[in-house]
Formats: sequence, structure tokens, C-alpha cells
Amino acid sequence: MTQASSSRLYGAIQRRRNRGLVGLYLVVGAFLLLYAVLFPGILTIGGFSKFTQNWFPLALVTMAQALLMLNGGITLAIGPLVSLGAVIAATTMGSAFGVPGGILAVIATGLGIGAATGAIVALLRLPAIIVTLAGSFIITGVALILLPRPGGFVPGWLSTLLAGHTPVAFLLLLVILALWKIFLATPLGLAIYAAGDNPVGAFRSGVPIERVKIVSFALSGVLAALGGLFVAAQTGSGDPIIGAPFTLNSIAAAVLGGVGFLGGKGTMRGAVCGSLLLSVMINVMFFLGFPPVAQYVAQGLIIVGAVAVPARLALWRAAR
Amino acid sequence: MMRVKAILRNPPLLTFLLVALVWLVAGLSLRGFGAYGHLRYLLELAAVIGIAAAGQTLVVLMGGIDLSVGAVITVTAILLPLLSPAWDPTGLVGVALVLAIAIGIGLLNGAGATFLKVPPIIMTLAMATFLQGMLVLVAGGSAVTVQNPAVLLLGQSRPLGIPAGVVLWVLVSIGMLLLIHRMPIGARFLALGANPLAARLSGVSTTRNTLILYALSGFFAGLAGLLLLGMNRQGYVGIGDPYLLTSIAAVVLGGTSILGGRGTYAGTIPGAILLVTTTALITVVNASPGWRSIMFGTLILALLMISGREARR
Repeated sequence: MTQASSSRLYGAIQRRRNRGLVGLYLVVGAFLLLYAVLFPGILTIGGFSKFTQNWFPLALVTMAQALLMLNGGITLAIGPLVSLGAVIAATTMGSAFGVPGGILAVIATGLGIGAATGAIVALLRLPAIIVTLAGSFIITGVALILLPRPGGFVPGWLSTLLAGHTPVAFLLLLVILALWKIFLATPLGLAIYAAGDNPVGAFRSGVPIERVKIVSFALSGVLAALGGLFVAAQTGSGDPIIGAPFTLNSIAAAVLGGVGFLGGKGTMRGAVCGSLLLSVMINVMFFLGFPPVAQYVAQGLIIVGAVAVPARLALWRAAR
Repeated sequence: MMRVKAILRNPPLLTFLLVALVWLVAGLSLRGFGAYGHLRYLLELAAVIGIAAAGQTLVVLMGGIDLSVGAVITVTAILLPLLSPAWDPTGLVGVALVLAIAIGIGLLNGAGATFLKVPPIIMTLAMATFLQGMLVLVAGGSAVTVQNPAVLLLGQSRPLGIPAGVVLWVLVSIGMLLLIHRMPIGARFLALGANPLAARLSGVSTTRNTLILYALSGFFAGLAGLLLLGMNRQGYVGIGDPYLLTSIAAVVLGGTSILGGRGTYAGTIPGAILLVTTTALITVVNASPGWRSIMFGTLILALLMISGREARR
């Protein structure tokens, strides 16, 4: 991060938050280097664009997952929300609503479903993992009713804009990260961390815990649905089950990025880095000609390794 | 009034009453639902979920979660026909081998959680991904037919009219209830789930108990896999997938806290029956897959509001 001009306290805090991530940065760097050696095409604009387009939806859903995990929650409804976002984009954009209407519909859906899930979790005090599990069935059902078979239509120019030979996806990701940075500076953004780290303490300091939880679920829903919109633009159509792998991948990427399950632990930059690692890993294995099966095996091993090594190192440091 | 309150505070009993109510209403309003054969079939289906959820209950009680249950079920269902030696007429050698593999997978999960300090959710998730890959490498993705007599006996026979799977489930239930409520190791699991630090300081070994816990979870998932294979007569990649989420749902519907330390297997039993009944009722209503999925999700959510609430914190 380059805010060297800010106060010393800010710099110190940023350094401390980056410390645990150095290992991750190194691993990601090594994989990116390997990727560039194997496939020099990534260094051209077109290659870079394609690479970031493969990464973009995973980055979005990882942010959606990390947002909730930082608040002490978790969601198993990411994949279905991505599918629903894709389905809504593909069914509305061809109709009278047009592209702007379609985008609004996707955002409104993500916001509405997220807020409803958050309200159930926060106000009825049900465990998030099981509410979102039930929610995933409902959302999948809605997507299947709207579009029983893959189909629908996304205008060609939108596909070219988002998933063409220009790094628009990467720029969008930078914009979203900048927005997150600004959001974190607001009381509400700070409250997400605070309520995740110590709900009782935050409550006593005047943080409206319930409202914060609902907001974080709603924002998470928007991010996941937008991921679906992008996937629809990428493939040019909607598919009611296309999002399925994203649920577990979003959790894996967030945990790779050092986000803890108990809330308040971790950073969004770590999570985004984790999603980059997962994405590069899959790409590298693809180019090395691993059969899909071996990719699963390697992915399992690497995830455990990437989580276990820092945990062991921390223990070893503490024991010294 | 006091009695009503006591029932509301007792999630296992509440879930049992819910099952009884649903069965009564469905039996009176749907032709054929209340038939002995149909109810027996429901229990048979619930037995697979119940046995898979036995391990899950223990893991959740200790504050973890096992996302490899579905993968272990698939592994046992696919490996059993491959590993049953032809010279063994009883088929018990194959069963023992496969259960040992299931326990081994569980031990690996436990080792990752305790020695490598990987959070259980990520360790078991990575294990599931790993197994998924290994399975296709080993089995090549085609379905395998079971000829092992022991497994077929388990899945098909009906001593005294009761399916062998249900008998097995009753035995597992008795064992589980004794283990949780009458044995020191159950108390240790609960203590570690309620307050890991206090339990450790009181001399409860986290390492040992975590290993035993995940080994048990692997064992029960393996047992569920064998039963499922016997009932299905065929094993294929993905056969165990539906049982991951249903095993978690059965545990939570039974009132066991997902945060650990509080709950009992007595709740998981009606939880499993409730899930199977819900699915059966939805199948009766002739709806499209989308509507069926919506109904299932809504019903789980509704049941959850009745029996799965966390205490106010």
C-alpha cells in the first residue's frame, strides 16, 4: 500500500496487518512468475485481460464471503446467488428493460436476498451457516424457475466490453477495492470489523449489531449477484447452476487470504490475494496439462499447505 | 403451562413431536403415506442420513464441522466392490478394509486439524476436494455394481420385517447416546466444545480427542456409505454428495448448537426422519424441480425457526 504520506500510526497499523500476509504475497508472486514463464502471453494486454477476467468473478465472490466472515458470519448461498445473478441478467437484458434495467435488477435482487437473509440471521438469531444453506435451496429454485435450461441473452457489446480484449474487469476490480477502502473509513464499515471481533464490546460501544449484520449480508449479496452478471456476460447467456463451484471456492480463497472464521480477523486485501492465488493455481495447472482430476488433488493439498504453514510458523514463533 | 415451556426448551423432544405431527397430518390427508411399507421405507432412507449424521453430531458438539462426509460415503461406496476379495464368501474382509480406509481418512482430518492447526472446515473441505480427485483416478468415473454378500445383506434383508439398515441405525443410536451421555470420552468432547481452553487446562488432551473424534466421524460416514451401497446395489462418483448438507441439517434441526458444547444425538434422530419426510412430501406434490427446491429450503428454514434457535447471547 502506498499511503506513505499518512500519519505514522496509520503506517504502523498497515504494516502490522500486512505482516501475516507476506508469505501469501510471496507464494502468489512465485505462482504469477511461473505463470508468466509458462505462458508469456499474459504480459500482453489481451493475455492480461483474459487472465483477469478468469479471476474477476472469483475475486468478487471471495469479497462477498470475506465481508461476512469478517463480521463473524459465513454464507453457503454464494454459488446459487451467482447463478441467480446470471439468470436475471440473461432474462432481463433481452427484454424491454435493456441493459441498465438488467443491471439494476441484478443489484436489487442481490441486495434484497442478502438483506432478507441477514434479517433472518440477525433478528431471529439463527446460525448463519444453516440459514444460508436453506437459502441456497430457495435461491437455486428461483433460478431454475426463471430459466429451467441454460439460455437467455446478453447483448454482444456488453460481453465485448466486460470480457473482450480490454482489461475492463481489472479496472472494475480496482474501483470496487477503492470503494471498499472508502466504506471501511465510514462508521458502518468499521462496525463490520468491530461487531465481528467482539460483538458484546461493540454493542456496548453503541454499534447497532443487528443493522450492521443485515448491511453486510446485503452488500455480500450484491457482490455475489454482480459476479453472476459478469459470468453471464462472459458466457453470453444464463445458466441456472453455473455458480455452484463458487460457494466452496469463495470460502477456500478467503481462508487462504488469512480471513478467520470467528470474525474480525483478516483483511480484504488478503482475501483478494487468496482468490488470486486460487485462480493462478488453477490456470497454471491447466497450462501444465494436469488432467482435471489431478487438479482436484493438487488443489486440496495446496489449500491445506497454504493454511497449515503460516499456522505452524506462528506457533513456532510463539514458542520461542 | 410449565410443561409446555419445558417441551419448548427441549429441542430433541420438540423435533420428535414435530415428526409425529407431520406423520399424523400427512397420514390422514395423503393416501398411502401412513402405510406400513411407506413409513418403513422412510425410516430406511433416514437411517443413512442418521448414521452419517452420527459422526457429524460428535464433530459439531466439539465445535468443528466435517465437510468430508459426502466424499467419504462416495469413497466407501466405490472402493468396496473393488476391494472385496473373491476368496472371501462372507464379504466381511472387504467391509473391514473399507471401514479402515474411512477411519484413516478421518484420522488424517483430525491430524490436519490438530497438528497442522488447519481449521476443521477447511481441512475437511480440502480432504473432500482431494478425495474427489483420487476417486476419479481410481475408479475412472464409471458406476460399480456390488456383489459383496455382507453389504447386500445389510441393504436388502429384513429380519422380522424390519430393514437391516434400521436395525443398524438403532444400534448406532444406542452406542452414540451411551458414548455422549454415559462415557467419559463424551464428556470430554462436550467440554472441549463448550470451552476448549478450560477443558485443556483441566487436563483434557485436545490432540488425542480430536483424532478420536474425526476417526469416529470417518467411521460413521463409511458405515453410512456401506448401507447406501447395499440399498442402491450400485456405487458411483457423487453418490454421497447429497448427504453432506443433510447430515449437517439433521444435526442442527435436532437442536445441537453449531457453536459446539450443547446438544445430543437424541435430537439428530428425529432431525434425520424429519428431513426424509419433508423430501417425501415434496415429491408427492407434483411440482417442477425449481418449486421443489424452493419448498425444501423454505421448510428447512421454517423447521429451523421452531427448533434450531441459538440462545440469546
